Amino acid sequence: MQERDAILKRKVQDSAEAIPPEKLLLLEPIIEKYQGSSSYLIPALKEAQEMFGYLPMEVQRKLSMGLNIPAPHIYGVVTFYSYFTITKRGRHTIRLCLGTACYVKGSKQILEIINKEVGINVGETSKDGRFTLEAVRCLGACGLAPVMMIGEDTHGNITPSATLNILEGYQ
Amino acid sequence: MVTLTIDGVKVTVKKGSSILEAAQHVGIRIPTLCHDKRLIPFGACRLCIVEVTSRGRTRTMPACFNPARDGMEVATDTPRLRDSRRLQLMLLLRSHPLLCPSCDAGGDCQLQNLVFEYEVPELSFGRQSRYFHVDNDSHFIRFNMNLCIRCGMCVRVCEEVQGQSELSFVKRGIESEVSTDFDRTLDCEFCGQCASICPVGAISSKWLVGTGRRFELNNTPTVCAFCSLGCSLTLGEIDRKTAYVSSSPDSANEGNLCVKGRYGWPFAYSDERLTKPLIRKNGALVETTWDEAIQTVADNFGSIKANSGPESLAAIGSQRLTNEEAYVFNRFVRTVLGTNNIDHAAGLGYRALKDGLAPMLGYAASTNSIREIREAEAVLLLGADLTETHPVAKNEIILASVRRKAKVIVVDSIRTKLSDRDGLFVNVPQGAEVFIVNAMIKFIMDEGLLDRAALDLRAEGLEALEESLKDYSVETVGVNFGIDPELIRNAARMFTQAESAVVILAEGLNRLGDSVALSKAAVNLALISGHIGKESSGVFVLGEKANAQGAVDMGLMPDTLPGFQSISDENARSKFETIWNSQIEPKQGMGARDIMNAAANGTVRGLYVVAENPVDTYPNRQQILNALGKLEFLVVQDMFMSSTAKLAHVVLPAVAPYEKSGTFTSAERRIQKLNPSSKIGCGKPDLELFMTLASKMGKADLNYSGYAEVMDEIASSVPMYSGVSYGRLGLQGLVWPCVDAEDSGRPTLYEGGFPIGKAKLATAEPFAGVLPKADSFRLIPCVQKFHSGSFSEWSPSLMEVCPSGFAEMNGHDMAGLGVVDGSDIKVTGSGGTIILKVKQSRRPVKGTILVPYHFSSNNLNSFTDWGSTEIPIKVEKA
Ligand code: SF4
Ligand code: SF4
Ligand code: SF4
Ligand code: FES
Ligand code: FES
Repeated sequence: MQERDAILKRKVQDSAEAIPPEKLLLLEPIIEKYQGSSSYLIPALKEAQEMFGYLPMEVQRKLSMGLNIPAPHIYGVVTFYSYFTITKRGRHTIRLCLGTACYVKGSKQILEIINKEVGINVGETSKDGRFTLEAVRCLGACGLAPVMMIGEDTHGNITPSATLNILEGYQ
Repeated sequence: MVTLTIDGVKVTVKKGSSILEAAQHVGIRIPTLCHDKRLIPFGACRLCIVEVTSRGRTRTMPACFNPARDGMEVATDTPRLRDSRRLQLMLLLRSHPLLCPSCDAGGDCQLQNLVFEYEVPELSFGRQSRYFHVDNDSHFIRFNMNLCIRCGMCVRVCEEVQGQSELSFVKRGIESEVSTDFDRTLDCEFCGQCASICPVGAISSKWLVGTGRRFELNNTPTVCAFCSLGCSLTLGEIDRKTAYVSSSPDSANEGNLCVKGRYGWPFAYSDERLTKPLIRKNGALVETTWDEAIQTVADNFGSIKANSGPESLAAIGSQRLTNEEAYVFNRFVRTVLGTNNIDHAAGLGYRALKDGLAPMLGYAASTNSIREIREAEAVLLLGADLTETHPVAKNEIILASVRRKAKVIVVDSIRTKLSDRDGLFVNVPQGAEVFIVNAMIKFIMDEGLLDRAALDLRAEGLEALEESLKDYSVETVGVNFGIDPELIRNAARMFTQAESAVVILAEGLNRLGDSVALSKAAVNLALISGHIGKESSGVFVLGEKANAQGAVDMGLMPDTLPGFQSISDENARSKFETIWNSQIEPKQGMGARDIMNAAANGTVRGLYVVAENPVDTYPNRQQILNALGKLEFLVVQDMFMSSTAKLAHVVLPAVAPYEKSGTFTSAERRIQKLNPSSKIGCGKPDLELFMTLASKMGKADLNYSGYAEVMDEIASSVPMYSGVSYGRLGLQGLVWPCVDAEDSGRPTLYEGGFPIGKAKLATAEPFAGVLPKADSFRLIPCVQKFHSGSFSEWSPSLMEVCPSGFAEMNGHDMAGLGVVDGSDIKVTGSGGTIILKVKQSRRPVKGTILVPYHFSSNNLNSFTDWGSTEIPIKVEKA
């Protein structure tokens, strides 16, 4: 189980390249619009996310400076609402269960095959923008272990080779 | 007032008090895990629930945020409540790792204590392991969020008290934890308030790791020796060595400390401390015995005095001496050396108090206590970057801003943390703050916003003030500095129309400009607005070092005896002649600046410098080096080999403040007792050195059995201290004026009027338009990362946070110069050229660069002169 704990604890690597400073200038109009009123943080974040697709560190720092809201506070809000994301998201989100039942029934092998074939680790997004991989601790479907969800679809009793077939269905 | 019954005891408390406060009022304890009196109640832990019966109905509710109401019957400890608290504790334990045997907080953990008190049995449900962030890399503080119980006190103290908001609750649901953004290491004030408030071991100070635990500490209460706020400290020792510093919640500072007070103490353990007396032989300083060193000092001062008269001797004391030492030093200089050439802080660091406040109001001291600031509705800061210089006073302004929605008006040459609060920021060149204040006064008069009848009863000199302001208007002043006049008008309205308002100035050797004129303008403004002589309204002048107020009270100035008594006052002199059993020269002596000039031209030949470092801190470094170099005999008494000590003929090692007895008087006139911890170095206490020297110089009667006896003498000779004696100085000390043994002191001055009859309004400086030169940069001496110079530079801990000074510039100027973070820039001014690393910052406005004055290696005082108001420089890419 220690190995599993390590996977769950692993810090998410920054998958996307840093946003270059000149692109960050795009945030200026948002900053201008919402400056001086910290109660508009959420709309400001919403617009920023619509612009970049996600809210990485540079975007949050820039907003923090511009809106004069402490960066930890912004980070707190971004991580609280599931609407916001700090990593670039793929078109499909894979939620692989590493809960005890699934792990015992082999979800580690599933993880390995996704690693190898799609080239992403937990928390990462594939280069082609197709998948984002997340690990979860029990999806509440232990009877079907091992389980993964892709988007809203649940796939149970999966095997490494079945996994690849399933992924084929999501382009 | 409301009256209720708690566990059968009748309690009457102020309306609005919580049930918890009412219970504490009568000493009934209710367990809490998320409550602190400094914070807004949060209601997270539910441990404080009580049973409340009113109008025949009984309900349970948290005591920490429910108000006490008339007629309530409260039960705090019923079997039902105990069960429910036990269940809460079990839920906390469910996911709290049981690492107590290896946790720093073990033995002093509120969770552990409550689990014990409530006899929590083995959990009847499965434990849960969670994975939260661990940070062992931040300075001073470490985080293990697996131990966190989500009480939120760290987040709240950082936001509500520090105004930093470095920590936040992040993520959601069972993943929620406390963190910085992206789990980065801290980049904040490093005050350690979060670690000190954490009820468990989730955030803790690193010092103790591997050393011991909090409950094993041997504690000594004393007073912080850095800035002038006088925060009370508890030095915790393990094996006779300081390991941990905290502050009692019952102290005047309510347990708040800044990074200097909490983590700056290792300077006392610095390897650089002087251990043996040094004497100059063949041009080099070599170690010697105490006997030889003292004898040499006595012989040389003696022979200079005999050959060229006592006026060829001079002495410089310090705001770092205790009251007792300053008092005895004063006596030593005036009666043993026989000269009135005595000064401290360059003769500048106290002038706002002595030449500004004292003649106008009566006392050379701030008018109110620091803790009153939190109730002010408007706070006007005049060139005072308290976040860096007086951090715990800054907390009071944050409290006023958060709780009272106070307006914070910052008039400054730099942007500060406080200029971000709700209020106004008026940006002016350094030294020009006074013109803004005068323009505000003029506006208040023109608009008729003052109550003339009320003012006439309390103050005189209004006509002369009006006359002197005739060339002022918000428009001229505004236009001159490129400020929207409306900003000045708003500042004036905000200040004068507030129910209660304070003005704050910070004195220090880094301040440019005329602090006397500024303090006079501040007092004028406070007087005409009616903001003096009542609670939470007044003028604060915060001195630089720990005993800034005491050094003034004890008369370390050329023209005053202890207790502001003038040297030319016959009665005062004869009083001290009797007590000191010696003649006192009636002629006023020279101040620091004249002493330096006289040393340069040979009329002063011997100088005794105690705990001060003129070479690095006085204006015009070249002149000081030249003057000290000419001296026939220079004695320096210090803990470290300062740049001044390097020039000395004899160096006498002194002890660290943590090894000292005596008292400090804080900027709020609070006299507090220092208590020595274990001896660290090999220096001698200053008091002992003065007495030994006196006896070697033939004045054996300058002798005291100890610090307490000196304080008794001070009490008998200094009217404001009459009621003070060591026996009366508890944790909170006493605030002067304290006139007899019954007097508990007076935190707010002038409530019943002024000791000088009516207050005296001062006339204003004529308005001299000063336009900053457009083509050159101005250099602004600043404080970076809470350094203060004399101690901080020797403190390995503070040096770890900020190892060297850098220049701060704003982004526009950096782009214009073509430099980026970390580039070298060349700064050229009257004092030569220095190369500095540059860093982008929001503090400097366009056309200015900030350079810390407290790193001796920068030689920043090469660029300043006595009385300079600005430092024009050229800045180039190096
Ligand atoms: S050290 Fe002080 S400023 Fe830094 S996070 Fe803790 S409370 Fe906040
Ligand atoms: S870290 Fe400590 S103070 Fe902060 S929320 Fe957790 S338990 Fe409370
Ligand atoms: S605010 Fe001043 S007195 Fe208080 S701990 Fe900090 S340096 Fe010491
Ligand atoms: S462990 Fe995977 S669904 Fe429960
Ligand atoms: S102390 Fe009242 S809820 Fe925690």
